[in-house]
Amino acid sequence: MMNQTGTDGNRPNRNVLSVIQDLYRQQSISMLFILIIMWIILSVLSPYFFTINNLFEITLQSAVIALIAAGESFVIFSGGIDLSVGSVFAFSAIVGGLALKFTGSVFLSIMASIGAGLFAGFCNGLSIIKLRIPPFVATLGMMGIARGLALILCNGVPIYGLPRSYMWIGQGRVAGIIPVPTIIVIILFTLMFFVLRNTRFGRFTYAIGSNTEATRLSGIKISSVILGIYMISGMFASIAAVIESARLGTMQPAAGNGYELLAIGSVFIGGASIFGGEGNIFASLIGALLVTTIRNGLNILGVSAFYQYVVNGLIIIFAVAADQIRRSR
Amino acid sequence: MMYFLLVIFSLNQDCDGQNMNELLLMKNINKAFFGVKVLKDVSFSLQHGEVHVILGENGAGKSTLIKILSGAYTLDSGEVFIEGEEIDMSSYNPEIASRMGISTIYQNFHLVPHLTVAENVSLSNFPRKNGMIDWKTVQNTAKSVLENINFTVDPNCPVKKLSVSQKQMLEIAIALSKNAKIIIMDEPTAAISKREIETLFQLINEIKKKSVGIIYISHKLEEIKVIGDTITVLRDGRNVGTVPVENADLNEIVSLMIGKEIKTIEKKRSHLPSEPMIEFQSFTIKGSFEDINLNVSKGEIAGLTGLIGAGKTELARAIFGVDRLDTGKIFYNGCEIIIRDPKEAIQHGIGYLPEDRDISGLCLNMPVKDNVSLVYLAKLKEMLFGIPTERALVKVYIDQLKIKTTGMYQQVKYLSGGNKQKVIFAKWLAAHCQFLVLDEPTIGIDVGAREEIYNLIFDYVKSGDRAVLFISSDISEVLSVTDRIFVMARGKLVAELDPHTTTKQEIMARSLNLK
Repeated sequence: MMNQTGTDGNRPNRNVLSVIQDLYRQQSISMLFILIIMWIILSVLSPYFFTINNLFEITLQSAVIALIAAGESFVIFSGGIDLSVGSVFAFSAIVGGLALKFTGSVFLSIMASIGAGLFAGFCNGLSIIKLRIPPFVATLGMMGIARGLALILCNGVPIYGLPRSYMWIGQGRVAGIIPVPTIIVIILFTLMFFVLRNTRFGRFTYAIGSNTEATRLSGIKISSVILGIYMISGMFASIAAVIESARLGTMQPAAGNGYELLAIGSVFIGGASIFGGEGNIFASLIGALLVTTIRNGLNILGVSAFYQYVVNGLIIIFAVAADQIRRSR
Repeated sequence: MMYFLLVIFSLNQDCDGQNMNELLLMKNINKAFFGVKVLKDVSFSLQHGEVHVILGENGAGKSTLIKILSGAYTLDSGEVFIEGEEIDMSSYNPEIASRMGISTIYQNFHLVPHLTVAENVSLSNFPRKNGMIDWKTVQNTAKSVLENINFTVDPNCPVKKLSVSQKQMLEIAIALSKNAKIIIMDEPTAAISKREIETLFQLINEIKKKSVGIIYISHKLEEIKVIGDTITVLRDGRNVGTVPVENADLNEIVSLMIGKEIKTIEKKRSHLPSEPMIEFQSFTIKGSFEDINLNVSKGEIAGLTGLIGAGKTELARAIFGVDRLDTGKIFYNGCEIIIRDPKEAIQHGIGYLPEDRDISGLCLNMPVKDNVSLVYLAKLKEMLFGIPTERALVKVYIDQLKIKTTGMYQQVKYLSGGNKQKVIFAKWLAAHCQFLVLDEPTIGIDVGAREEIYNLIFDYVKSGDRAVLFISSDISEVLSVTDRIFVMARGKLVAELDPHTTTKQEIMARSLNLK
């Protein structure tokens, strides 16, 4: 939100239009309002919505999408896109499941998952910087490869029988009320906020998204920054996979299908530009909450799951359209 | 007697405008971009079978004039007659222009590289038989079109395999097949060999016989003597003279192009010779520039000028490590250094202000603060940095360079050209660069802001341990700002001049490679 508060005060002749424009620019703020309005409408429509149980269900559900969106934020801020997060999600879950089977150690299993995510991200980054493949195509390829590997590794059979300590990550409550995933989300988002704000890596991420050529001519080694960005994206997909596995008590090779759509949608709803260079990671969190609320609301209202895919698609289109309209004004 | 006078009067009127012998007449053309007049009452005429050369410095209005004729720009006021008939310029566009028989030969601009020669010839109008393309006719048309100008090339050869000059010939052939009456050639010899130039000139002589008029834009004066019939010189958007080639004296033409010597900026400083700071030896990138040797002393502003396409920008990019050199050595404070990429150049304290500020100089949608600190951060060793430190640093340079902004969080895209340039300057100052390569630092910046940029450069070198390579195609600017002037022409360093003794004339003549 640093960027946005800055553009706020720079219009000398303010009139009604420019005030509206400024509000428009702060998409994350307007999305927060929409989120609150949606919560109010849903609680009027359904008595089940505004229950403590359901509200925690939303933070739990959104934890997975929010974490994938955190990684995706880095990619989109740098002007790229990562379509492989949903498949990498499943791939790292299965790798972690196999590690758990063979070693029996929860710690090693989680490390294996995260390692798998980092590796997939590394491969994405490598094909972008070394083979000069556009991010869209490189990660589209990885989307197929990672999904295939997930199915191959477990022979298509889900892995069951997670120990209680593993499941605590997804199902546990701190102080008997706050879900563990919610705490993980808060910690990681705060950490990533400072990475984007106070590290050279974070600043260069935005700079590459804003103008790659100018960044290169400022003496920044673009390739290593891009490699790091895609590795972070893979890593967050795998952290999300650990949480979902722990929550459901199983690792599914078909998990995470369509999650890339939700994660990318969350980042755009948060007001990031498709051209990169702008965006705030907490805005992506609001986006993830909004996406999850819509899904949750549709569930409660008894709308078929099939329609939810349509809604997910529409969300992305409208989020980017809003961005384009803001830009053309 | 009275009657006789009347006849003369009406004859006069005839000559004035609707002369039927004139192929093209452009009268009192005016054109402004964003309030800046680039063409002021320009009149221009072209006869049947004439090669009319348009000359002028960069920015004199040559390309604006031909773009109006080809329909790419609309004019603000003025009249255009083709063969005595007035053209309705309010609805004029490239399509109408080509229907009127006006063809522009840009370097392979109209050709589709993946299609064959024959397909390109018929591209706009494929012959059809039973709703399908009639390939036989396509072949035959191509053959006759190529024969028309005695151009031998396989009609089934894909255009991408042709050389630059072959593509040019093909474009001319296509233009003629569409009954072109006026052919505009913009620097047609810029990228082709001597032999190919001869072939092109033979072709031009052939075309002239078909009573086609040719508007020819070129910087190569010796060529103009060979091929041109008439010369029109534009300066600052005005037609300052139209003369037949046989009467033209090249030095006079150069004077016409430059105009009277007006010292716009007072020399504010003079540099005393001191020890060399950076030296470039036999810099070569094949096809861009060749065997460039130049050095810059401490505290000096070295100027580098030349026409567009002389290789100035290419040289600047090579110095900064953006493009790889074929050969060349750099000595910096007496030691040889190797620069393979911008990162290494910056490690050595070399900075570069690119010619296209918005495209390769700035992160436009990022705040002033982030742009100013970018190179500083790139040089930083630590992973983390503190925002307060960064803000303090940026504030120093915003104040020092008097960057007009509503605050350091304002996005750079909202700043004016001059202030954008200052942001780039601040970026290099914040990183403590010792040697700056400035590529057209005042392009697109208004007069008042220019002065500020000059003062900034003077202040930068004042301490005596820093230096600047000042690249500009604006001769008067180079003359008044720099301590020494290097002139490039066609990829070669052709002169080293002293701004105290040289003149605009001489620099222009050297740029045109006259002496």
